[in-house]
Amino acid sequence: MIRHTRSLILPLLLVWPLAAAAQPATLPRTVDGVAIDADAELVVALADDTNNMDPRIGMGSIRSNYIRQVFESLVDVDSHGRPVPGLALSWKPVGELTWEFALRRGVSFHDGEPFNADTVLFNLDRFFRRNFDKWGLKDVLAATSFEKTYPFVTRWEKVDDYTVRVHTSESAPTLWDFIGREPMVPKAYTLKNGVDGLNERPIGTGPWKMVEWKRKTSMVFERNDAYWGTQPLFRKMRFQTIPEGAARIAALRAGQVGLIEGVPPFDAPALAQDSKLRVVSSPQKLSCRLYLNARPKDKYDSGGKDGLFADQRVRLALNLAVNKDAIVKKIFNGYALANASPVASVSYGYAAQEGYPYDPARARALLAEAGFRDSNPLTLQLLFPAKHYGQSFDEMTPAVAEMLKDVGVQVTLKPVDFATLLQTASKGTLPPNGGFAACRTGNNLDADDYLRDWAAIAMINWAPYPPELMTLYTATRREVDAQKRLKLLADLQRQVRDWAPVVALYQEVKVYALSARVLRFAPLPELNMDFRGVAVKR
Amino acid sequence: MRAFLLRRALHAVFVLWGVVTAVFFLVRLTGDPTPFLVDQSATQQEIAEARRSLGLDRALHVQYLDFLRSVPRGDFGTSIREKRPAMQMVLEHLWPATVELAAAALVLSTILAIPLGVASATHRNGAVDHASRLASLFLQSMPSFWLGLMLILLFAVELGGLLPAFGSGSLRHLILPAVTLAAAPLAQNVRLIRSGMLEVLQQDYVRTARAKGLAERFVIYRHALRNAAIPVITVTGLSLGFMLSGAVIIETVFSWPGMGRLIVQAVPGRDFPVIQAGVFVFALIFVGLNLIVDLLYTVVDPRVRLT
Repeated sequence: MIRHTRSLILPLLLVWPLAAAAQPATLPRTVDGVAIDADAELVVALADDTNNMDPRIGMGSIRSNYIRQVFESLVDVDSHGRPVPGLALSWKPVGELTWEFALRRGVSFHDGEPFNADTVLFNLDRFFRRNFDKWGLKDVLAATSFEKTYPFVTRWEKVDDYTVRVHTSESAPTLWDFIGREPMVPKAYTLKNGVDGLNERPIGTGPWKMVEWKRKTSMVFERNDAYWGTQPLFRKMRFQTIPEGAARIAALRAGQVGLIEGVPPFDAPALAQDSKLRVVSSPQKLSCRLYLNARPKDKYDSGGKDGLFADQRVRLALNLAVNKDAIVKKIFNGYALANASPVASVSYGYAAQEGYPYDPARARALLAEAGFRDSNPLTLQLLFPAKHYGQSFDEMTPAVAEMLKDVGVQVTLKPVDFATLLQTASKGTLPPNGGFAACRTGNNLDADDYLRDWAAIAMINWAPYPPELMTLYTATRREVDAQKRLKLLADLQRQVRDWAPVVALYQEVKVYALSARVLRFAPLPELNMDFRGVAVKR
Repeated sequence: MRAFLLRRALHAVFVLWGVVTAVFFLVRLTGDPTPFLVDQSATQQEIAEARRSLGLDRALHVQYLDFLRSVPRGDFGTSIREKRPAMQMVLEHLWPATVELAAAALVLSTILAIPLGVASATHRNGAVDHASRLASLFLQSMPSFWLGLMLILLFAVELGGLLPAFGSGSLRHLILPAVTLAAAPLAQNVRLIRSGMLEVLQQDYVRTARAKGLAERFVIYRHALRNAAIPVITVTGLSLGFMLSGAVIIETVFSWPGMGRLIVQAVPGRDFPVIQAGVFVFALIFVGLNLIVDLLYTVVDPRVRLT
C-alpha cells in the first residue's frame, strides 16, 4: 500500500521547529516532472522475514534485503552491479601487500555516533575475531569465518581518522571486495548494547532507520534525513512478510502493497498488462547447477571409490544433454539466463563463454568414449531439495533428469529436504555416482567469489581443480594489476567452462511487480533492493 | 472430583515428559542444523566448530539430561537461527495472534453451527436442510488455501479493498482468516448437530416434553440440544487444539503471525529449541483442552460423573 501520512494541525505546529530542523534541505518536489508525495509510506511485500539484523551472523538472500537498508559497506554497488564508493571514497593497493581505504567524512550512524577509522578497525576486529577480550565482545556464530577464509590478512591500522590500511602476507587483489562489501556496525553502540542490541535495534549509517520490527510480520523504516547520499524520496517504508506468492499478487492488485518481490514467471505478463502496475526484472547472482561427484576417493566418505564423474568427458556430456534454452523458455518464461561461465553475468570480472550446445548425439558419443554404453549405463543418484528454491526449480529438476535419461543416463531422482542435502554435502557422504541440484549465491562482487568454489574441498566443491587450473586460479588470487587480472579471470572462466565441473543450468532473473505510482525503482543484481532516489507519485 | 483432577495432573506430567523426550530424540534424528549456519564454502573443520559452539558435539545423553533439567524452568534454550529464547518466541506467536484467530474461528464455527444444525434437523429433507447439507459438503471439501485466496480476491481485490488481504492487529484483519479457518469445523459441527438432533428428537423424553405442552423452541434448545451437543463438545475440543496449533496454511495465506508457521519454519531449519518449545506448548494445549472437555461433560450431562 502507498499511504499518505495525515497529521493534525496542532501537533504539527508543536513539532514544526523540530521537524523543520530534521528535514533534509534538498528533497525535490517532483521527479521527472511528476509531483511526488514526500510523506508517503511504501509497503513492500517480501516472502520472508529476516532472522537477525547483525550482519556478522549472515548475509543470505533474505537477510541482505533487510540489513542493507540500515547498514552500509565501504564499497557500494550501482544498479548494474558495479562497485562504487560507499562509506569509503576510494580504495587502492599501496605496494603489493597493503590496501588503503580512504573513508568518507561527515557520516554518522543513526544515533549520531561518527563513522571514522576507529569504526573500521573495530569492524575488522569483529570480522577476524581479534581483540575480543580488549573490547569485551561476544562472539557470534558467523556464516563466513574471515580468519579462516582469508588467513593471509595479517593486520590493520589507522593512518589518520579517515584512512585505514589493511596488510596481508600475500597479494590479495580482491580484498577491496571481501572486506569492502561487509556492512559496518557502530563501535560505541555495539560495545554498549552487544549483539542483542544490533539484532533488536540495529543502528547503521544507511538511508533507512529501523523503527519497528514485528517478527515474522513486518519491519518499519523511516527515512534517515541525515543520510550522506541520495535519499529515498518518501518518508516511511514497511517490509511486510507475505509468504504466499498468490497472496502477494492479490495484495498488490488490491493496492494494499506498493511493490512485491518473487513474482512467478508466468504471472509476470498478466501483471505487466495492468496499467496500474509495472513489472521489472534483473539478473541475480544466483546460479543453479547440478553438482556431480568428481572427487577423488580420499576427498570424501567414499568407501574406496573415486567419484563416477571424475572423467571430464562425462561431465561435458551431461552439459550437452541438457537443453538450457528450453528450460529458460518453457519453465522460466524467459526470466532466467543460460550462462556457461562459472561466474554470474553480473559479477566483476565476468567473461561471457560460449554456451554448451544442446547436442544429445554428441553427449551419447562422449559417454560411449568414457566407457558408458547401453550395456554399461552411467547411473546418477540425484538429490533434489524440493520446495526450497521455488516452484520453477522444482519443475526444472525432473525435466533435467528426463533429458539425461534421453542420452542413456539412469537417473534416480531423490527429493530431500534442504537440510538433508546440506548435511550430505557438508559431510561428504554423496555416493560415488551421486549428485545434487542446488543454487549458489554470494554477497561479493568479484568473480573470485565463484571461482574459488573448486579451490578447497567444501560443501559445494565436488570437482576440485586439477593442478593446471589450480595454478591459474592461484594466479588470479595473486595478480594485483587490474587489467592483467581481468585477462587471467577470463582465461580461467574459459578453461573452467571446458573442464565443466558442474552442469550449469540457469542463472536466476528476479522479477518484481510494483504500483505505477512508484517511480525510479531499479532492481539491483544484488540480493537486496535499493530505494535511494525512489519516489512515490502524489 | 479432586482425585480425578490429581490423577489427570499426574497423567499430564507423564504425557508431557513423553512428548518432550520423543521430540528431543526425533529432531536429532533428522540431522544437524550447523550446515545452515555456515557459508557454502565452509570446510569440515568450520562446520565442526559451529557444532561445538552449539553444544551439539556433546554426548546425546548429556544433552538430554541438560534439557530435562531446563524444561521445568521453561528454558528450552536459544533459537539456533534467531538467537533468542525459544519459549519466548513461541509465546509471542501464541498470544495474541494464534489465540485471537483460534478464538474467532471457534466462535464462528460453533455459534453458526447451532442454528444451522438445528434448522437442518427440524426441517429434515426440506429446502433449509438441503441447502445446509450442500453448504457443509462444500465447506468441508474445499482446501483452505484455495478458499483463503478466493476470499482475498473477492473482498480485497474485486470489492475494492473492503477487507485487508493480509496482516493482523484489527477486527477487519481478523475476518477473512477466521472465516477460512472456521469453514471446515463449521461444516463438521452442522452435520454433527443435525445427526445428533435427529436422533434425540425421536427420544421419549422429547415426546413427553411436547406432550406437556412446552413451546417447540424450549423443547429443542433446552431438552434436545443439550444431549445432541455432547459429540460436538468432543470434536470442538479437538478442533480448537488444531486451530491453536495447526493453522499453518491459513497463517501463510494471510500472513498471520501465528505459532503454526513459526514451528513449521523451524522444522526444515532444524531449529531444535524452537521445535521443542513449540511441541511442548502444543502438548500442553491438547492436555488442557482434553481436561476441559471432560469437565464440560459434567456440565452438559449431569449423569456423567468424573471419578
